[in-house]
Amino acid sequence: MIDVQDLSVIFGNGRSHVHAVRGVSFHVGKGEAFGLVGESGSGKSTVLRAIARLTQDWTGTIRINGQALARRRDRRTARHMQMVFQDPYGSLHPRHTVNDILSEPMEIHGLDNREKRILQALKDVGLGVDLRFRYPHQISGGQRQRVAIARALILEPQILLLDEPTSALDVSVQAEILNLLGRLRADRGLTYIMVSHNLAVVAHICERIAVMNRGRFVEEMSVDQLRAAEGTDAYTTQLIQASKGYDREVARQIRTFE
Amino acid sequence: MTAPLMTVEDLRVTFRTPRGPVDAVRGVSFQLGRERLGIVGESGSGKSQTGRALLRLSARNAQITAKRMEFDGIDLLSASERQMRDIRGARISMIMQDPRYSLNPVITVGEQITEAYLIHASASRTEARDRALEMLRTVQIREPEKVFDLYPHQVSGGMGQRVMIAMMLIPAPDIIIADEPTSALDVTVQLQVLALLDDMVRERGMGLILISHDLNLVASFCDRVLVMYGGRVVEVLEAGQLTSAQHPYTRGLLNCLPELDRPQRVLPVLERDPAWLD
Repeated sequence: MIDVQDLSVIFGNGRSHVHAVRGVSFHVGKGEAFGLVGESGSGKSTVLRAIARLTQDWTGTIRINGQALARRRDRRTARHMQMVFQDPYGSLHPRHTVNDILSEPMEIHGLDNREKRILQALKDVGLGVDLRFRYPHQISGGQRQRVAIARALILEPQILLLDEPTSALDVSVQAEILNLLGRLRADRGLTYIMVSHNLAVVAHICERIAVMNRGRFVEEMSVDQLRAAEGTDAYTTQLIQASKGYDREVARQIRTFE
Repeated sequence: MTAPLMTVEDLRVTFRTPRGPVDAVRGVSFQLGRERLGIVGESGSGKSQTGRALLRLSARNAQITAKRMEFDGIDLLSASERQMRDIRGARISMIMQDPRYSLNPVITVGEQITEAYLIHASASRTEARDRALEMLRTVQIREPEKVFDLYPHQVSGGMGQRVMIAMMLIPAPDIIIADEPTSALDVTVQLQVLALLDDMVRERGMGLILISHDLNLVASFCDRVLVMYGGRVVEVLEAGQLTSAQHPYTRGLLNCLPELDRPQRVLPVLERDPAWLD
């Protein structure tokens, strides 16, 4: 379904360039959920943004259903592939109602039956029709993230790119959104690539996980290996240890990996 | 626990708004000794407002009342603004969430730490500079002379938070209130910053109030944890007692967290009981 070969992203040029992603390759099968974890600056979000072509500074090959993607994004692949962003406060237009937000992708792609699709999308993500004409500031953070997911789903894509979809939310709301993402994937056979710094969140959604550091894949592992802390790489081991809460000894031994 | 540094009884914070009063904190009581006290809750639980009220840093439209709010024999409610200025920073200081927003972007970090020292101590500039460099070393910054002359945008998030901590520690306060001090940081950096605060409590006998939304993290770090919901403390947990939490809210929060060593197909969703607010 998604095949990435030797993906590199370099921002800027000359002496001040930043090599954000350094030759990453991976494959995600149809209906599979693939997770990218790492700390800030590891390049995990940049990989996602390159696949969505939100950045044009990439090299390598990205294939969706066997078709190589062009450097710039185009309307056709947008229908197959949609993205959900971290901050539902920043990713919804503050002066558009929920109805406007859901209508825009259908206008761009010339879809019919808009009324029916909006009602269905609201129902799919568990939002009441009474929210349809509200503005983003009139609904809660969790409801906003549901609107963002509904907007992504309204074009009936096969692939969802999820960039830290729950890290701006309270844990009780996070649980609701994670359950929703799990259910949608099961119902529709969607393929996910999910980025998060939270190992437990990625493990909840994904079957396979790649650990990133400094633009490279340190290790690729199954969710069972991650859960059993069976990482072979020292960086992975440290990351798993550190995410288990405060421990004085663990904190003392933390080191930087180049 | 030794003699309490701070005693709070029935603290209430109410905001006057055009739509009527909003009760953000509704009767919080606790004592703080030379220990690590955690305050945990979701957004809107009143945890940050509790922290701010202790230093009377609440917004202008807030009304703070309490039966007792005392620090070292000083009644914090009736203290004059002048008295409060002597307490803030010098005796009780506060670390905010994001160093990028709480440091002055156009002044070097060294200058900011030096200033924090000079305001509260009568010392020469060279003396203050030496103290600032020493403090940067204390917070485990490797090349303090180099970092001293950097601007906030030139340091990483973790280093920025160490600078903030250095700035807050240099007047040697009795209490530090840390409001989500590590939430903007990576897990490994988060642990290192907490270890630093841990050292300060152990070595300098400070009291620490750690405010956070992360129940697991706070419970693994603090000696005692207050769990807040709807402006109230619904449960007090001793260190290591997280798993035996009794209140349905605390239990619900714990259950809805995905965990690495406990796979679940569907996460239990927190059902809120209106009775928790009574």
